Amino acid sequence: MERKGDILAGLLFSTKVIQNVLIAYDIYHMKICCPEVAEKAAPGQFLHIRCSDGPTPLLRRPISIAGANEKDGTVEMVYRVLGEGTRLISQKKAGEILDVMGPLGRGFPVPLDAVDPVLIGGGVGVAPLLYLAQKIAGPLSRSGRSGAAFIGFSTAGEVFGVDFLKSCGFTVFLTTDDGTAGQKGVPTEAFENCIKGHEVQKQFDIVYACGPKPFLAKVKDAAVRGKIPAYLSLEERMACGVGACLGCAVKSAGEGYKKVCRDGPVFEAGEIQL
Amino acid sequence: MNRDKLSEPCPKMEYIRNCAVDLCVEIAGISMKNPVMVASGTFGFGEEYAKIYDINRLGAVVTKGITLLPRHGNPPPRLCETPAGLLNSVGLENPGVERFIREEWPRLKKLPVPVIVNIDGDTVEEYREIAKRLSELNGLAALEVNISCPNVEKGGIAFGQDPGSAYEVVRAVKEAATLPVIAKLSPNVTSIQKIAAAVESAGADAVSLINTVLGMAVDIDRQRPVFKRIFAGLSGPAVKPIALRMVWEAYEAVKIPVIGMGGISTWRDAVEFILAGASAVAVGTAGFIDPEAPLKIIDGLEKYLVECSICESALKTSGEDKTIKLRDIVGLAHKNFTEGDFS
Repeated sequence: MERKGDILAGLLFSTKVIQNVLIAYDIYHMKICCPEVAEKAAPGQFLHIRCSDGPTPLLRRPISIAGANEKDGTVEMVYRVLGEGTRLISQKKAGEILDVMGPLGRGFPVPLDAVDPVLIGGGVGVAPLLYLAQKIAGPLSRSGRSGAAFIGFSTAGEVFGVDFLKSCGFTVFLTTDDGTAGQKGVPTEAFENCIKGHEVQKQFDIVYACGPKPFLAKVKDAAVRGKIPAYLSLEERMACGVGACLGCAVKSAGEGYKKVCRDGPVFEAGEIQL
Repeated sequence: MNRDKLSEPCPKMEYIRNCAVDLCVEIAGISMKNPVMVASGTFGFGEEYAKIYDINRLGAVVTKGITLLPRHGNPPPRLCETPAGLLNSVGLENPGVERFIREEWPRLKKLPVPVIVNIDGDTVEEYREIAKRLSELNGLAALEVNISCPNVEKGGIAFGQDPGSAYEVVRAVKEAATLPVIAKLSPNVTSIQKIAAAVESAGADAVSLINTVLGMAVDIDRQRPVFKRIFAGLSGPAVKPIALRMVWEAYEAVKIPVIGMGGISTWRDAVEFILAGASAVAVGTAGFIDPEAPLKIIDGLEKYLVECSICESALKTSGEDKTIKLRDIVGLAHKNFTEGDFS
């Protein structure tokens, strides 16, 4: 899609859906063709997706980028059907047009030095971590370091991403709330047990996490106790997605509020109060 | 159809080719190249959307409301989507007038588009002070006096719900400011006509309406109101018929220009407002869904003027000047209603 002028370097795209399939309970994997986004996107950034041509549901839906391939120009998203908006997105078929805005927001800082990273994801919060894993897989294997991923879901039917994370060189610790897959429990506990050396002692240099707010609060506490820098990706309802409407506020560690869409969705744990 | 007939020049098409469209409007002494503005609070200070599209094509830019001192705004949640609408409880989060002048104005003043600053206060005195301070800025087009914000403890809407206090605030701003003054009115009143007339008599150079409609939402899982302030402001296509009715009423009540807004998403919506009496329109919530909505509306207005019946009647009556002027259709629905036959 051609746009004029450098200010229109591209945030609005009419893209083609390549694939949109159910991969777990209420979880869809969508692939679209958008070379501009594939080229620019960073892990942790999101796309703001229009779900209807009409006035209901009115707003776009922010969905994190789960993968991008510069070579073939494809961008992937893994999302959960939560309401009417995401339900409509899930009905898009291959070949149909998807109106997207992005890539938006501030993503995860990808480490330049050799580090042992840990990814911690809850439910559909695992999605942006897949893209991050894809980006750091190369440096990880070259530097001979090892990464770990603690991911949790409510039940076996909701699990996704395990094989992909393994293929990127991560050791995966899977938990489910009901114990139907992996260990019974939550990934934040598994992570804490790990750094405390209860089972396998392991030290990490950097934490990357995404999930609901209470989940991230636990990650933050554990990271602070373990003195590990942590980057947290927040999920929030948004209107404009670009920092104009001031709707997606999160309490700043200092005074006032940060905006999840523009200042985040990824924050250094010390920047915000959860 | 007969081939010969197709090759004959169509008189209407011939006419359209020869006629020019003039979208210019002048409101409160501000010359705008077209009547499409962005609504306060939906456009920040222009920086975000300047990265997405050419904002220099807009008729005017209206900033987020600013106050004398910085404000943090309301705690989250601040948004709730409703059928064809959006409830917000942002609460006037803004950097305050001094930081606005330091950090935002240097960029805004370079825009080749008129910039209107929306101002708000807790007291008449605050409105007066902020108006005085902003009048020192060189190149600012106008002040929009927000007497209609539903999301703050004091001031805001309280001033806009009573003709006496609406008069008082606008009068104070008018006395303190050397700039044109636009009064932004609330729909949450019994008689918009009384409020509009009051601000006109206080010296307002134009009125803009509507601000958001008071509403609320209840969280059925937590069994309590969604918003900490209970009530919030509704915008989006859902409020359009209310806004249109109030623009119609305001147009009949005052002589100063009316700037119409409230749920405008397409050029058709914009035309409705203009025919109902709006000399200019503002696009708000629609820009969240399609940032280019204001530009599409400008293009649509131009096509409408060329193609609509105005053009046909102009065709019959026009003399030398073949320019179709947007300002000629402002409030036309009133005239057509009075003169027309509804039976």
